[in-house]
Order: sequence, then structure tokens, then C-alpha cells
Amino acid sequence: MRIHQYERVWLLASMVLIVGFIATITYGAVGLGITMVDDRGATIAPDEINEDERFGDPRVEQVGDDEYEVYAVAMTFAFQPDPIEIPADSEVTFYVTSRDVIHSFYVVGTNTNTMVIPGEISVVTVEFDEPGEYGLICTEYCGAAHHEMEGQLAVLEDEEFDLTELEVEAPDEVEPDGEIEITATVTNGQLEAIEETVTVELGDETLEESVTVEGDESESVTLTVDAADLGEGDHDWTASAGDLTESGTVSVVEGSEDDTEGGDDA
Amino acid sequence: MSNVARQEDPASVERIEHDEFDPVGTLALIAFYFAVLVLLWLFTYFVEFLGNVPTPVVVA
Amino acid sequence: MPNGATFADAYPTQARHIRAAFWASFLSLGVGAFFGLIQALHRTDILRVIESQTYYTVLTAHGVFLVISFTIFFLVGVFQWAVTDSLERPPVDMRFTWGWYGLMSLGASLTAFAILAGFTDSIDVRANVLFTFYAPLQAHPLFYVGLVVFVVGTWLAGADWFRSWLAWKGDNPGERIPLPTFMVLTTMIMWYISSIGVAVAILAFILPWSLELTGSLNPTLTRTLFWYFGHPVVYFWLLPAYLLWYILLPKLAGGRLFSDPLARVVFILFVLLSTPVGIHHQYLDPGISEGFKFIAMTNTMFLLLPSLLTAFTIIASMEHGARQRGGEGYFNWLTALPWRDPAFTGMALAGMVFAFGGFTGIVNAGMNINYLVHNTLWVPGHIHTQVGTAAALTFMAGAYWLVPQLTGNRLVGRGLALVQVVLWFVGIVFMTNSMYRGGLVGIPRRTAEPQYEGFEYEVAAGSVGELNAQLAIGGTILFVSAMLFLALMVLTAFNGGTEPIDDGSIPPALSGPEDSPAVLDNLKLWVAIAAVLVVIAYSFPLASIVSRGGLFGPDIGPIPVAIDAASTVARTALEAVSAVVR
Ligand code: HEM
Ligand SMILES: [Cu+2]
Ligand SMILES: [Cu+2]
Repeated sequence: MRIHQYERVWLLASMVLIVGFIATITYGAVGLGITMVDDRGATIAPDEINEDERFGDPRVEQVGDDEYEVYAVAMTFAFQPDPIEIPADSEVTFYVTSRDVIHSFYVVGTNTNTMVIPGEISVVTVEFDEPGEYGLICTEYCGAAHHEMEGQLAVLEDEEFDLTELEVEAPDEVEPDGEIEITATVTNGQLEAIEETVTVELGDETLEESVTVEGDESESVTLTVDAADLGEGDHDWTASAGDLTESGTVSVVEGSEDDTEGGDDA
Repeated sequence: MSNVARQEDPASVERIEHDEFDPVGTLALIAFYFAVLVLLWLFTYFVEFLGNVPTPVVVA
Repeated sequence: MPNGATFADAYPTQARHIRAAFWASFLSLGVGAFFGLIQALHRTDILRVIESQTYYTVLTAHGVFLVISFTIFFLVGVFQWAVTDSLERPPVDMRFTWGWYGLMSLGASLTAFAILAGFTDSIDVRANVLFTFYAPLQAHPLFYVGLVVFVVGTWLAGADWFRSWLAWKGDNPGERIPLPTFMVLTTMIMWYISSIGVAVAILAFILPWSLELTGSLNPTLTRTLFWYFGHPVVYFWLLPAYLLWYILLPKLAGGRLFSDPLARVVFILFVLLSTPVGIHHQYLDPGISEGFKFIAMTNTMFLLLPSLLTAFTIIASMEHGARQRGGEGYFNWLTALPWRDPAFTGMALAGMVFAFGGFTGIVNAGMNINYLVHNTLWVPGHIHTQVGTAAALTFMAGAYWLVPQLTGNRLVGRGLALVQVVLWFVGIVFMTNSMYRGGLVGIPRRTAEPQYEGFEYEVAAGSVGELNAQLAIGGTILFVSAMLFLALMVLTAFNGGTEPIDDGSIPPALSGPEDSPAVLDNLKLWVAIAAVLVVIAYSFPLASIVSRGGLFGPDIGPIPVAIDAASTVARTALEAVSAVVR
């Protein structure tokens, strides 16, 4: 074949370019450890999501010292959970699946970007070093309100971040001769033990107690008051632990059934 | 090499065959293109991409 | 073709047929460009004449009208011209030729109806699925039926050209295939191999599901089959532009094609490498192993080779023209090119834009760097530099030369035509500059309102307002340019009683086919190799996808096959490399 000498030179230069591109990308994968979204996530049918241990309750979970996992669900036209809160300087693995059509999970202005396909679980591990607020959007057209599919990702200072929850069990109504029991339960979703001062107030009664909650455990504090001491009528209570507060009202009335159901755990 | 009638083009002043034609201009242009590609690539990969943190990494 | 006669004189019936294809193409361009203008103004919140939810009907129409209808109708016209002109014979049976044109028109009309019906509530037909129609988004069955009919039309067109070639071969035993016909045949081989993917996706899965014959499907599978077709289809748009660059541009520049042998090599490389790369559109998809993605990445990078070779041959052919016209020096010869000729200038500008767009394509193809740009506005930036300019502007410029040959009329408004191609260039620079930069700061594509409540884009240089202005201005200029083009085409069609300036002859290459081995013309050999490459690249990923998600969707339990082994091999290879490097 008759090929001009310059053409041979260019052919060689082209091969150098091509190999150079492949080499850069391989360096990114191997040298820097950048990994692609792939098939390491399991499969999950969209109608199994609600029963699924991870995706049935979309949430953030601590799995190691500075390691967190986020189980997120994309659907028309929202993300769950929203907002997603994680601590700075930690390694976060997002597990994302879809309830319906194809979506994406894109933390705007970063390389944290993956498709979300129904039936599949996208797994992406990233490290957020600095605290900050990020937009989380779906970049795959998913229907008429696709442009409204938006969530928040908050990367918090270590001190501001916790996975502590406060749950309160209190009766709605009590007979005048009965007892009112208010139980505040502090759950520590993180791995390290936390110290919390739990305060429960009802009428003039106040209970303040310091508790140590081990990682992944919960501790309860109960305040018991005689209804007779409060008298008939509505009485407000509050319970707090750290910066979490819950409040509600208990009525002391004649002829009510003592039920502890409907305790305020909003 | 066949010599089919060349179209009349008043602007063409001479006729150059393959072996007498040395495409130095092409070589110059394409060398420039090569340089542009390399620079753009390095910039886009190492500045734009690697600067756009965080990037998905291997789980240890 | 008799010397001095236009194509229209020599083949009047064929010219009429090609004109019909061009009109279908131009009509689509006009409608598509109008929708493009609406998008450019809506996204940027400069002018919103539609509801945001209607945006997706507009966008579906924009995609389908421009990249399916405009490009493919134009290219079948160019291919028909190239085959007839270079074999110097009309199709074997003109009824068949009109037949496939009819099928394509029918298919395009059905699909267009399904999409456009989305604008009115009075017809219960919708197809707001964009041109990629990812399931489980579902369009009206007519949308899919139309696409299938259209594609079958193109298959028959290819059969028509193969038939012409076989008839010619019978009359000219032992001769080399004329280059234009060679390009058409190889492009069609690529098209046959690749469009099987979309045909299977629609006929086996999506259409039965949209007709409620099957209850579910596997979204990863239909998506993968789409992209099996979706990458080669971009070469289907591009190769007719290459054909015009190889065949017409050297002549327009006043020179001759530098190398016929390399042109053949280039087209063969496209046959071999265009298809086993589609997974590069799925780098960020779950359910596909990194090993398969790596393989697609390397294949894609090697697919750069034919385009880089083309750059050389085309520039050298232009330089040859410039030197014959008295051009001198390393760069000064550029001034000796016929920049006043709209056909030449349009193609040259298209080539320049393509050279830059090629770079952005490398970024898309770069596996991990795809995280940076995936589904951002960067991608439509790339689309508009490549199919929206490299192909579209070349087609328009080519039409300035071809349409006079096909009508026997002189081009009306040569000066305006020059303005038109330059306007397109300016418009595309503005619009894609905004898109590329917007993409890098994370502005998404395919959205009616990229203005969100919870965050602001961080633009390092410039501002979102400036990016929006550029997008809107560029889009408006492009729209004006498209309208100008259509006006000139209509005027030229009615410009009876005149004659084209050019005689329509194509000079032979400087280095002709006799300088290359005959094996290049052995099409069967290339088909076989291409098929093997496709099987290697796709059998494992497809089997793995089916075993994960079932043939018809998640309901069917996983069928364990010996497939994981393959993906493990690929991944282990990558890890082995990593171990060595570390
Ligand atoms: C009048 C000139 C044009 C204008 C103003 C225009 C404008 C636009 C805009 C603003 C988008 C982005 C929409 C979005 O992602 O939200 C877009 C997408 C697109 N354009 Fe154009 N365009 C024009 C011409 C063309 C041409 C000539 C082609 C191809 C031949 C083309 C092909 C496409 C494709 C394939 C998309 C992507 C569609 C999708 O994401 O589904 N456009 N166009
Ligand atoms: Cu969406
Ligand atoms: Cu592609």
C-alpha cells in the first residue's frame, strides 16, 4: 500500500495518543483507585423495596469508625431520605435503587454521579472532606415533573452530626386516680457511646438524668406522676435529650380508658 | 495513475501529482492539533475531573 | 456519467427520488430547529411559551426529527446519489427504490404523529419518552411501530444498493469497487449489524410490553440493546458526512483526494469497531461490571484511529487543492482555499468543529472521567458539535452543491449561503460553549428547568446568567441559519431555466485503489470479523444482564449461568494490572 511518509508519522502519533488516553484512565482506576459503578450491588425488584431491610427504611447508618452507609430510594419525583445528612471527613457509601423508572443520583458539582435503574442497586463510595450543602438531583428524564426531582445532601461538621433519636411514650388520657408514666428513649445510631442528659417535665415535676448510650443501643428514662397530684385538665409535658425535644399533652379526665397508645413520637 | 480530464478551474495554476506533493502544511496543522489534544486532555483530566471531588473510589 | 451533464440530466427519475428524500429531510430540519429554539429559550428561562411538562414532548420531537428523520433521510439521498453516480447505473428496479422510500416515510409519519399528538389532549396518544425511549417509560405503540417501519425501510435501501453493486459487478468483473459505493456498502454493513440491537429491543421486549402482551421487561437489557445500536448510529449520521468530505471536499478545494486506499481502511475500521463499544454510554449504570466497561473503553479509544486518519487525508486533500491554486508556506496555503464557496466553507467549518468535538468525545469515552460530564449539559454540547454540526452543517453545505446537480437549477443566493454556513458556525460556537461550560459546573441536560431551589451552581469564570445568554443567543442564531438554508433550498428548487455552475464531475484520487491490496474490497471478510468482535464484546455482558434481571424483568428469578466467570476474568485482569503498577 502506498502511504505517504507523513501519514505514517501521523499514524504513529495517533497510536501514541490513543495509548496515552487509555494509560491516563488506567492510572485513574489503578493508581488513584477511582472505581466505576458496577455490578457489586445486589438486585432488588421494585415491589420488594418496602419489605427490604435496607431500603424499606431509607436512612443513614454508621458502619465503621468514619464509615457510613446511605440507603436511598429514587422515585418520581423525589429522593428518600431527604435531606441526607452525613458527617464531614468520612467515607460514605451510597446504595441507591429506584421504585419505578430510570433515574439518576447526582450530587451537583461533584463526581458523585450514578444512574439508578429499577431492579438494580447502584453502589458508590466517596469521601466528603469538607462540610457543605450540596444539591442532589436526578439527571435522567423520568417524567413530566423530572425537573422538580431534587433533594439535599448536607455534609455536617463532626460536632453537629449525630444519629441520635429521641422517642417518647406517654398516655393521652388518664383517670384522676391513675398514674402517668412518661418514658423517653434515646437511641444511638452511631457506633461510639454517647452521653446525654435526658430531661422529662410534667407539671411541676422534673426528672433529669444523665445516661450513657452504647453504640447501636438505646436507653430509657421514665417519669411517674400521680394524676391526682396534677388535678383534672390538660397538662403539657416535654422531654429532651441534647438538642432533641418532644412534647405533648396528657388529659386527666373521669371515665377515660388508660391507654398509652398514641404516644407522641413525631 | 489515470489522468482523467480535470475540471476547468481558473484558479488552479498548476497540476500536482501524488509523488511531487509533500503535504507539509497538513503535517504542521496536524502537529498543532496533536498538541492541542494533549493539553486539553491533561487539563480536563487532571484539573477539571480530579478537582471535582468527591470521586467514587474503591472501598478498602 | 456523460461529461458536462448534471445528475438530473443523466438520471432524471433517480434525481426525483433523491429530491424527495431531501425534502423529507429538510422538512424535519425545519420543525426540529423550531423545537430547538423553544428549548434554548425555555431552559434558560428567557422565554417560556410552553408549560414545563410539555418541554419533554418538544425535546422528544427535537431528538427524533433531527437525528432520526433529518439525518437519515438526507443520507439515503446522498447514498443513492453516490451509488448511482459512481457505478454509473440506476437502481435495478425503481419501484423497489420508491418502495423503501415509502416505508421510511410511513414509519417517520407514524412516529411523528405519536409524538406530536402529545401537544393536544384531544387525542389519547403520547410518546414523551425522548429519542432514547428508555423503558419503563412507555410510549404509545405507534411510536415504536413507526420506528421499526422506518428502520426496515433503511434496511431495504441498503439491499437496493447491494443489488446495484452486484449487478455492476456482473458487468465489471474483477474491478475495484468505486470508492463512493464502497463507502455506502461498508456503512450499510455497519448499520445492519447495529440496528439489529434496536430491532430486538423493540420487537421482542418493548412493543409487546406496550401492547400489554408481556407484563414486564428488564430495563437494563433494553437499555443495553438500545446502546448496542446507539453508538453505531452516530457513525451512521457521520459517515455520509465523511463520504462528502472524502469525495466532494477535495474537488471543491480545487484538488484531489489524497489517498483512496486509506479512505477504504478508514471505513473498514468503522465496520469493525463501531458496534463493540456501546457500553461506553453505560459507564455509570449499575449491574454491568467494571471489566466490561474497561473493554468498551479501550475499543472506543481505538475507534479514534479512523477519525484521526481521516483528519490527515482530508486536510492533505485540501492542501493539494490550495497548492494547485498557488498556495504557499506552512500555513499560508489556507488563504488560497475557495472560502467564497459556501459548499466548501460549510464543510471546512464543519470539519473544524468536528475536530474539537472529537476531543469532547474522548472525555465522554474516558470511563472514569465520564463521572464529570455524564448527563450534564456537556453531552448536548458534544451532540451539537458532532451530529448537529459535523454532520448537519456538512449536509447543508453539501446540499449547496448537490441540489443544483439534482435539480439542474443554479443555486440561488450564493452569497447568502455563505452567510448561512458562517452563521451556523457562530451559533454553534456560542451554544456549545455555554453547554460545555455549563456541563462542567453540573447543569444537567434534558430538563425544562435547571433552576433548583436548594443550591446554586458554582461557576468559576463567568456566571449562570452569562451561560444562559450564550445558549439562547447561539440557539437563536442557529435557528435563523436553519431557516435561511431552507429558504435558499426552496428558491433553488424553483429556479428553473438556469444551470448549475459546476459540471458535477468528481476527479480521481491522487493515490487510487490500485495502490491498495484487493482484500480491502472483500466485504464478506470484514462482515465476519465484525460479527466476531460484536459477539466477543456483547455476549458476556448481555448474558450477565439477563442472569441478573431476567429476560423479561425482575419478576423472573435469576438464572445462574457460567457468566460471572467472564466478568470475574475481566475484573481480575484489571486487578492484576493494578497489582503490577502499585
Ligand atoms: C436550531 C438549532 C438547534 C437548537 C437551538 C438546538 C437546541 C437544543 C437544546 C437547547 C438542547 C438541550 C435540551 C435539553 O437537554 O434540555 C438540544 C438537545 C438535542 N439536540 Fe438540538 N438544537 C438545534 C439543532 C440540532 C440539530 C441540527 C441536531 C442534530 C442533527 C440536534 C440534536 C439534538 C439532540 C440529539 C439533542 C438531545 C436530545 C435529548 O437529550 O433527548 N439539535 N438541542
Ligand atoms: Cu428525573
Ligand atoms: Cu457512543
